[in-house]
Amino acid sequence: MTDTRHPLTWWIWSIALALGIARGNNPWLAIAVVGCAYLVVRIFRSDAPWSRSFESGLKLGLWILIIRTSFGVLIGTPIPGTTIFRLPILPLPEWMAGIRIGGAVTQERLFSTAHEGVILAAIIICFAAASSLTSPHRLLRVLPFAIYQFGLALVIATSLVPQFVRSISRIRDAQYLRGQKLSFKKILIPLLEESLARSLDLAAAMDSRGYGSTRVRSRYRAITWNAGDTVICGVSALSLFSPALILISVITPFVLIKRKLAVPVQ
Amino acid sequence: MITFAAVSLIYPNSTKTVLENLSLTIDEGEFVLVIGPTGSGKSSLLRLINGLVPHHTGGILAGDISVDGISTQLVKPGGLAHLIGIVGQNPINGFVTDTVEEELAFGMESLNIAPDVMRKRVEEILDLMSLAPLRDRSLATLSGGEQQRVAIGSALVMHPKVLVLDEPTSALDPIAAEEVLSILHRLVHDLGLTVVVAEHKLERVIQFADRIVHIDGLGNTRVGTPAQIMSDSDIAPPIVHLARALGLEDVGLTVRDMRRMSEQIRGGNYSHTIEEIELASETVIELLDVSLSFASNTVLKDIDLKISAGEVIALMGRNGAGKSSLLKTIVGLYECNTGSVSILGNNPLKISGAKRRETIGFIPQEPSDLLYGQSVLMECEQGDVDNEIKKGSTFELLNELVPGISPHTHPRDLSEGQRLALALSVVLSAKPKVLILDEPTRGLDYQAKSHLVGTLLRYARVLGRTVILATHDVELVAELATRVIFLADGDCVADGKTLDVLLSSPAFAPQVAKVMSPQPWLTVKDVINALEEIQ
Repeated sequence: MTDTRHPLTWWIWSIALALGIARGNNPWLAIAVVGCAYLVVRIFRSDAPWSRSFESGLKLGLWILIIRTSFGVLIGTPIPGTTIFRLPILPLPEWMAGIRIGGAVTQERLFSTAHEGVILAAIIICFAAASSLTSPHRLLRVLPFAIYQFGLALVIATSLVPQFVRSISRIRDAQYLRGQKLSFKKILIPLLEESLARSLDLAAAMDSRGYGSTRVRSRYRAITWNAGDTVICGVSALSLFSPALILISVITPFVLIKRKLAVPVQ
Repeated sequence: MITFAAVSLIYPNSTKTVLENLSLTIDEGEFVLVIGPTGSGKSSLLRLINGLVPHHTGGILAGDISVDGISTQLVKPGGLAHLIGIVGQNPINGFVTDTVEEELAFGMESLNIAPDVMRKRVEEILDLMSLAPLRDRSLATLSGGEQQRVAIGSALVMHPKVLVLDEPTSALDPIAAEEVLSILHRLVHDLGLTVVVAEHKLERVIQFADRIVHIDGLGNTRVGTPAQIMSDSDIAPPIVHLARALGLEDVGLTVRDMRRMSEQIRGGNYSHTIEEIELASETVIELLDVSLSFASNTVLKDIDLKISAGEVIALMGRNGAGKSSLLKTIVGLYECNTGSVSILGNNPLKISGAKRRETIGFIPQEPSDLLYGQSVLMECEQGDVDNEIKKGSTFELLNELVPGISPHTHPRDLSEGQRLALALSVVLSAKPKVLILDEPTRGLDYQAKSHLVGTLLRYARVLGRTVILATHDVELVAELATRVIFLADGDCVADGKTLDVLLSSPAFAPQVAKVMSPQPWLTVKDVINALEEIQ
């Protein structure tokens, strides 16, 4: 299934969601938004390599939540309330008065740091949703032409990264099977040789396909803004005014599913 | 269409002349095949056509090359993009975008062609190359044959007058290769496209060629019709060797011609005493109910195998049938989801270091993955140290496999065949009980291949070791293997003697078998042996 949305639409949608979450400052709302965003990503994403970035964002968000909460519980000013458990207090020099490491962990303290962690993680996951729904190449095309050439070079460089990772694991496997102890040098030398050969191949291929031979490049697919994009962006904008509307904006894309399913599947 | 006028080429810092005084005119609609040993300059000749040599690689060029009246000395490769389509050895290395459709359009966008023209041309090419169902697929998920078709398609979409291909079938299984070549054949005949192809596997392409350019590696070239060149060329497909061995007057280039010429020989009555190779009863590798899957994708399904010492096993099947996965499961890179693998009673996942070197030798698809030394000598000395053998024995072994490699050469500067031999000698110096090779013949010429066959046969017969190789090369299998295992979608669909498996499917039958059917002969040697027996 091709993505027919304008590449900016999903970014506007996710920025609006992120702002809404920050403004609403309600962890339950944030979790609900992440859940809905997950459904949207599941339905609208393609099988391209970048579509997996939602999962990476989800993992990153969880890590932030865990680290943020544990640090928040350990370090900071005490909040009085019901004590859950008590940690030994680390003695600190006098000039660091006001900061405390360890000590009583209260229910209030745990909740407040977890609350902040959830909001932060949810904002990051919203951006991950946008990047997994939008092709970076298509996004580049709607950016001003002046940065297009630079961007194309960047895209080529980034598309070499997955190949780089694959080469590393292949060479590592081969060396392991040769019964060698792994060392940086034994992987680096074949890797550099291969990457160099590959970049030369790519440069030769681009050159012989006329890249850079004319100053102006035409575009194969004009990228158009249609009614669906207006609906998604318009409703998203509403969530900036009232946190309650944020759930409406996150589910607006589902309204468009009906049309999407009407496209015959090959 | 293409004119080479007294062309000589030499690379800087090299004393070897790549081409010397080559004059050649290729007409419109001609299919020209370039042959020669590895490293002889076939790729250089192809890249001269659109000026990648010397504009991109450097080198000193004398004489002039012109395509459709445009001299490549005056115009850069980009300026010829509308005229010449070029497809490299590894198409995936030349891909710029990430989906099939965008890749097809990339070249046209560079030339600033109007969007509506582009749309029409992309649709045409999608139909022509049967790529329509794949139009939105990510290029990384395509099989080898599909990638090759996309690469050819993105060259054709520019409506070039000349198409240049460097080893288009080397990574493909026989059926995918035939598909690609028949598309080229059709383009030559329907559109009058001029095609120049370099290829090692002559048995696949020779019947399509109008003319052959033979490069000998010393700068000398010969140009002629396939029949002329094949009458005395050292590089020849099995079918030509068969004609020579039978003492036929003409060399037949197609199976049909050869069948007509050899009717009498085929018709004789032969006693088929196939020499049985004595196998030790010792089981070396045992796979029980092995299944492997990645995410929701099943790669291997309930594979049961018993492999004895001294067997040479060929693993065949389409691109993506699970050959590499099976090899990686046997060597212990993948852990199977169900079932068990044992090599000489050990779990391959748990062998490491010196014990691994003595048990399993593995040559990956890219032999250079194993190499990290700065010279051939350093690489060999590392082998000696690792295996605690006499200093210099690994280099001696290399000299036996391929004589005449200078010990101070950098491994990267070796030809494909020499690099494979180096990796092989490093692995063999540990005398592993099992030797496993993944696609060893990619980019190898006939000479390097026969060296490889000799080495592996000696290793299996004399030392009684087991050899397993995954390959698409049916001719190699016919020469070498005692047993063939055929995989399809992770299932083992055939497992038996080489003769039985190869003869049962026409697509995977070697040339000699196609000519001599119904006689059960696979190689030229089989035919000669049978004929001698009757006399």
